[in-house]
Amino acid sequence: MTEAPRLLPQRLETDPESVERDLFRLVLTIIELVRQLMEKQALRRVDEGDLDEAQIDALGVGLMHLEQAMEDLKARYDLTTADLNIDLGPLGSLLGP
Amino acid sequence: MTTAVEERPVGQASVDVAAGPQIALVDLLDRLLGVGVVLAGDIVISLAGVDLVQVRLHALITTIRSDMVTPR
Amino acid sequence: MGERARYLYAITRNPPEGFLDDARGLGGNRLEAVHHRGLAAIVSDVDLDEFGEEALKQNLEHLEWLETVARTHDDVIHRVAAAGPTAPLRLATICIDDDGVRRRLDDWYLALGQVLDRVEGRREWSVKVFAPAGVPESVGVGVRVAGGGADYLRQKKAALDARAAAEEVAGRVGEEVYATLSGRAVASRRLPAQDPRLTGHTGTMLLNCAFLVEVDEELSFEADTDALRRDFPSVEISCAGPWPPYSFAMLEQR
Repeated sequence: MTEAPRLLPQRLETDPESVERDLFRLVLTIIELVRQLMEKQALRRVDEGDLDEAQIDALGVGLMHLEQAMEDLKARYDLTTADLNIDLGPLGSLLGP
Repeated sequence: MTTAVEERPVGQASVDVAAGPQIALVDLLDRLLGVGVVLAGDIVISLAGVDLVQVRLHALITTIRSDMVTPR
Repeated sequence: MGERARYLYAITRNPPEGFLDDARGLGGNRLEAVHHRGLAAIVSDVDLDEFGEEALKQNLEHLEWLETVARTHDDVIHRVAAAGPTAPLRLATICIDDDGVRRRLDDWYLALGQVLDRVEGRREWSVKVFAPAGVPESVGVGVRVAGGGADYLRQKKAALDARAAAEEVAGRVGEEVYATLSGRAVASRRLPAQDPRLTGHTGTMLLNCAFLVEVDEELSFEADTDALRRDFPSVEISCAGPWPPYSFAMLEQR
């Protein structure tokens, strides 16, 4: 008896003043989503135990840099993690709680 | 569009159903439409009121995830 | 002006004289009661240009249209529910004419009797439980980890595990609230958690439910809710109502 949820389309309204920041917010949201997916997948692979020490270390260092890069990007555009949680609909749960 | 969750003041007994604060739109739509209301995973980007681009996030993310879940 | 049809808002029984007065529904059209076998279907005229099958499909995609119709529909429900036990109908239940309305009443006659009995003297209360804002958040480990890549991953895993544990504890609180309030209610229903962007609330929604409560039990229900707030100060328990019995009186329509 479950039906598909009703989907309401989203509109990202930009104006010439804010378009750069708004688009950047959208881009950063997607990057953050990908970063978190990579993180989860990396931890899963480590748990599975089929990686050697060097691979684990390389993964960790790579993800650490990625996290730092995200912090830098957010700071540059004065965006918090909450700001990035925009308009992903059912996918939004991947980025937040 | 966001609507806040309605908080009912403690100890206030309303006899008349019509007298309480308005039902939040999200709660109303959940009940009147019979399914949960969800925001779509697509975004229409508009500039100066003109719709320009539609980003199909769901398709994009699905693709990435499939690649990731399949180990090499 | 296109073809007309009847929009069905709610069904009640033995309503008092003049309870609709000069009340208006969608499009400013007069509300009317179609009486049949002791039941009264509350209807008004609508245009099939707007509410016909194809038009409806289009219109349901527009939030502004949806909001207007939902609010009008809700106003009518409130009015009818104030006058007696009421079975609200879902949005956009259309009948071709009053004979069509009566046929529906015939189809639903037994179910309606049961539903109206169930909701008489009772009202709906909506309860939501939220985890505190900021829990759980994106887990930032702090990127200057001295121990190198493996250490970073270990810390990241520990942080994510801690977050999962906190979520589990929070989930149990939600269950406790549901169980306690179910005991006070005549009927209870779990509803899906709502998107934070729709609610405007930042904390995770742990529980979304509806309770059908005897009017005489409402103060006790409120007292129970307050007691739960004292028992679980780490969460936010939001209680809204009384509402017409939306979650307990909907007939499956097809």
